[in-house]
Amino acid sequence: MNTDWNTLDTDVLVIGGGVAGCMAAIPALEAGLDVVVCEKGKVLDHCGSVGCGVDHYLTVMESGPEWDTPEFLIKHVPQLTDGIVDMAVTSRVIHEMPRVLRRIESFGVDFKDPRYGDYYRLRSFGLPGTYHINFDGTEFKKHIGQQVRKKKGTVLTRTMAVQLLTEDNRVYGALAFNFRTSEWFAIRARAVVLAAGEVNRLSLNASGVAFDSWHCPYNTGDAHRMGYNAGATLTNMEFIESTLTPKGFSAQGLNAWVSEGAHFVNKQGERFMFKYDEKGENARRAVIADAVIMEYLLGNGPIYADCRHLPEDVLDHMEATLQVDRYTMPAFYEQKALNFREEPVEVSISELSIRRSGVYFRGSGLAVDTDAQTSVGSLFAAGDCASVSGGIAGASVLGHIAGEGVATHLKKPQGSLPDIPMDTANAIREATMAHAKIEDGIGWKDFEQQTRQTVSDYIGVRRNEKGLKLALDELHALADKETQLRADDLHGLMRVQESKSIRLSAELMAHASLARKETRTRSSHRRLDFPDKDDAHWRKFVLVSQGADGPNVDTLSCDEPLAAAFGRLETKAVPNVG
Amino acid sequence: MSADPKKAQPVHNPIEINPETCVKCNLCDWICPGDLIYKEEDNRETLPVVAYPDECWYCGLCQSICPVDAITIVFPDEMIHCKTNVVDLLGKVVE
Repeated sequence: MNTDWNTLDTDVLVIGGGVAGCMAAIPALEAGLDVVVCEKGKVLDHCGSVGCGVDHYLTVMESGPEWDTPEFLIKHVPQLTDGIVDMAVTSRVIHEMPRVLRRIESFGVDFKDPRYGDYYRLRSFGLPGTYHINFDGTEFKKHIGQQVRKKKGTVLTRTMAVQLLTEDNRVYGALAFNFRTSEWFAIRARAVVLAAGEVNRLSLNASGVAFDSWHCPYNTGDAHRMGYNAGATLTNMEFIESTLTPKGFSAQGLNAWVSEGAHFVNKQGERFMFKYDEKGENARRAVIADAVIMEYLLGNGPIYADCRHLPEDVLDHMEATLQVDRYTMPAFYEQKALNFREEPVEVSISELSIRRSGVYFRGSGLAVDTDAQTSVGSLFAAGDCASVSGGIAGASVLGHIAGEGVATHLKKPQGSLPDIPMDTANAIREATMAHAKIEDGIGWKDFEQQTRQTVSDYIGVRRNEKGLKLALDELHALADKETQLRADDLHGLMRVQESKSIRLSAELMAHASLARKETRTRSSHRRLDFPDKDDAHWRKFVLVSQGADGPNVDTLSCDEPLAAAFGRLETKAVPNVG
Repeated sequence: MSADPKKAQPVHNPIEINPETCVKCNLCDWICPGDLIYKEEDNRETLPVVAYPDECWYCGLCQSICPVDAITIVFPDEMIHCKTNVVDLLGKVVE
């Protein structure tokens, strides 16, 4: 095994080479900065959540009508997020949307529909206009990844960052290892961008196949864990996100169903969505998921997606684009011998994730300011690990803001970077590699399965204080076993790190859920013991950060930007939870 | 260990690689986002190995990039004929 350290000095370290990470790297490279991207996949062109494609992109385009202006969409954001949103950051993201869209087009992404030679824009998920461009994004990520390579970014592939390096609430690098070669990297950086996505593999799914998840199962809250351990503040961790999927295959595709006009019906054949929202199938994702959850709990399952009423040309388009979001969807239908044109598709609720709780712009993860900087100096975050998230567009725009923010930040005098304390680095490396030497212990798959069972049973869509406390007991018991996590090989060492990130994220979720004593955005945070929305007391962010003895939980009024809670800024004190 | 019927079951292989048509080119290893497929580099004699079949996302990137269509994605029975009661995913209420 290679025991030498590879030491790198760079201006910017980007952790995660998905859309947000690449979009952060691009402006930093254009500003003349050295950028290192650390990525668990092998190739930037196809890694991250949309490495195999994406079929819709949310944006304002300023095409003329009032609804297509940033101001109009911004006006509707409080309603879209039930009032829990950082309006300062969201406003900046929405204002930047048209500019970033044009940038991405300049990279070679074609958002136009060849049938019309124009943008094919549809309304879905409760948005107050046809903000979604439905397009063939099979090569979306390829074009963005290529830009990073063309602009000479350094990419460390099959490499996992395990710990950030900090001093005096400022980040100055990270430790990482290549899980193919066992090479270790000690990277000093003047700024770090966390862009490692959301938290998946967090709860049970219908198939029972652990890596069968709606979003990338290799996104496991690694940014959340590294940021938390570095002292960063996280927010919105109490909210869960789920979607509807064909039962048995947790795949993307809800937008295609609802934007093209599919109906959801229960076992009685009743089209039930209007019972839950006046927008019917065009309601927000959180509302659609909640309606299906309620129908199942009422005994009205199975639930089906029904496309049989749609015109032939719409069905043709749906069939032709079935593989855009998930390449294997046609094979799934074929192996299932199911023709969605002629028969309803049984649907399930997907597994839960910590992402953006089924509403746009309310991200669950690292709290950021309007430059995408976290509460830790020189540490930025973007994409689905950050507090403003909006699908692939949100990742693109906030990523770009982070890259420009880093470039601006590094123009200011920073002082010299500390030397990496190699005794500490060696200890971290030893502890990480030790999991491969454990012969008994607990396998990471069993450990994760216990986390998932706990989340599904007690932190999922029906919460109460007793259940959440029980969950915390079980998650703490699992934490005690972490040193005994067993890996069979280098690849397993990477998975062990992921398992730890998933468990910690679940624990933070339970703490935040206990703190929010109300129900908000339906099953995204349903407290059976506090079943009503309570704006008088709870139009607040729940903030979690590392304390001396477990997580600190605070709150901040949503009239304030999250940055008001950042210790690195001179702002007012944060009130405690009562 | 072998007495446990669960452990005795072979792990489903989601990525079937046709050894007759595979050109042993490395692209499936290169593109897999989950580090599942291992192919010996610079050796045109050895086939790729699906080293961690139970960690597959069923994304199909390997199939999509294979230059000779040697890869077929095969879903397991629990995905194709999923029998799970969805209500079981919706949590327990602790009284």
